[in-house]
Amino acid sequence: MPHTEWVLIAGLILGLLFGAVGQQTGFCLLRGLKNRWVEGDGRKLRAFALAMAVALLGTQALAVLAPIDLGASVHPQRTLSLLIPIGGVLFGLGMVMANGCGARSLVLLGTGNLRSLVVLLCLGIAAYMTMSGVLANGRLAVEGAVQFRLPAATWWQWLASLGMDGQLARWLVTVVLVVLLSAYALANSAFRRSGRDLAGGLLIGLLIPAGWWITGVLGDDVFDPVRLASLSFVAPIGDSLQYLMISTGISLTFPVAVVAGIVAGSFALSLITGGLHWQGFDSPRHIRRSVLGGVLMGIGGVMALGCSIGQGLTGFSTLAISAWLALGGIVLGAWLGVRPLKSWVSP
Amino acid sequence: MRKIQFALLFALSVLLAGAAVADGSGWDRHDAVREAVGDATPQLGQLRMQMPSVSEDGSAVPLEISIDHPMTDGDYIESIRVFATANPNPEVVDFYLTPLMGRAEVSSRVRVNESQTLYAVAHSSSGDVFVASSDVRVTVGGCLMTSDDDIAEFGQPRVAPPRNLAAGQPGEVRTLVTHPMETGLREGPDGELLPRRMIDTLIVEFEGDTVLTVKMHTAVSENPYMRFFMAPETSGNAVFRWTEEESGDTVEEQMAFNLS
Repeated sequence: MPHTEWVLIAGLILGLLFGAVGQQTGFCLLRGLKNRWVEGDGRKLRAFALAMAVALLGTQALAVLAPIDLGASVHPQRTLSLLIPIGGVLFGLGMVMANGCGARSLVLLGTGNLRSLVVLLCLGIAAYMTMSGVLANGRLAVEGAVQFRLPAATWWQWLASLGMDGQLARWLVTVVLVVLLSAYALANSAFRRSGRDLAGGLLIGLLIPAGWWITGVLGDDVFDPVRLASLSFVAPIGDSLQYLMISTGISLTFPVAVVAGIVAGSFALSLITGGLHWQGFDSPRHIRRSVLGGVLMGIGGVMALGCSIGQGLTGFSTLAISAWLALGGIVLGAWLGVRPLKSWVSP
Repeated sequence: MRKIQFALLFALSVLLAGAAVADGSGWDRHDAVREAVGDATPQLGQLRMQMPSVSEDGSAVPLEISIDHPMTDGDYIESIRVFATANPNPEVVDFYLTPLMGRAEVSSRVRVNESQTLYAVAHSSSGDVFVASSDVRVTVGGCLMTSDDDIAEFGQPRVAPPRNLAAGQPGEVRTLVTHPMETGLREGPDGELLPRRMIDTLIVEFEGDTVLTVKMHTAVSENPYMRFFMAPETSGNAVFRWTEEESGDTVEEQMAFNLS
């Protein structure tokens, strides 16, 4: 069997696992931030921090041992544009309005939540509008105008360019961040007692290096390499819609297999555990909010080159500097939506 | 009921019309293709040309051309030429085939400047001409990918031999060489035109006999990839030689084919 088919099968399994874990643990950056800011309950946020630590450690170990050149992925780039943090803010706002990011919406769709179907359709279409459709020329023009160049693409390469040994710099940054993040996560006794959140953080974190392994090792072929990537959910949702529409003219890719796997995994577990409940909208205002949320996430996610998972976990795991800008933007956008703009984004 | 039937009939005719668009018709509207066809009346629908209908970033669009046709000394496909009529230079790549290949199927990755129809023209040794076409839509890319500082140097030939080889049976060979394939049409970061630097040909020989000659033009992607078939009757040595235009520099890879 050709390597591309192995990649697709492994991607589907990865998606099934993400869907099942997400459905069972309620892993979600937005839920974490909201619980923390509104109710003072930091468990879900700590689960996200734990996932960041696990993803970072696993990915860096894989990059050295496999080895995989993470520089071939979209995240570690020296030339960045201001659209990355701005897109992050838009994504964060959209995430609050739609009540969940792209990945969370896929999981919720599997549990019978039809509101997330609307969010996903709007997200996918808006992502493609921004990437290659009616908004693309505008995006490219602005992107070119607000570009700047970093001294290095990743934190460790930056330290290395200042004269530190490359491997030492890589591990120093990795270990410091992993220790800080896991200390923050595990310092809280409520989180340590919450098996669900512990498992969510740990397992989702492990799926990130698994994704790198699939595209970077399984998909490694001198003549026909698979594009290096791990979990991300903005362009892939658009890709999935596009695949449904024109599959005769394009081939199935790893991100589409992951997206299909997530919905299937969450749906399967909902059937088994009896968690399948059909849900819809309460009011036209609610629909408007979901549509706007999906559109903002699609536009912002493409500008920021990723979503809360795609930049917050996958991009972060490469130690790319761009991921910090995007994640910072997403958190800021979510804060704006939860606090000062609350009345505007709520129904 | 009649309305449904009418709708079905209409849908079917639309589908068929869609299928008819990409069979190579319209070739005579393009000078370069017309010249390649010559005086013959080409047969449409037999040569197959496969490309993705939508490509994000046209700098490396997969291309595959094949035809069910004998590859014997008496009658074989002797050339397959590819044209992208809306590229700055319509010539894409020319394959000169021989019966030693055993199967008339070739692939590569090519540059497509804008949405357009690409044509392939095949000539057989007995004088038949076949034409195929493929519609490709090119959209702007999604990533900020600006190729940073590394400029590819000519070298690092890589050849993947057929997985299982039996005498006279066509086996798939894949080749790749590192080369910038700079067209001379592109501006560098400083706004100056980058000088043209291209590979001219890939020649494949088996025990001194030429198996395949690939003539590359500006539309062949960076680090040219070529996939084709070889059907050696006996064990022997194959030589793959890439020659650079202008400088005449060559890069060579040898490979022993051991038939069991």
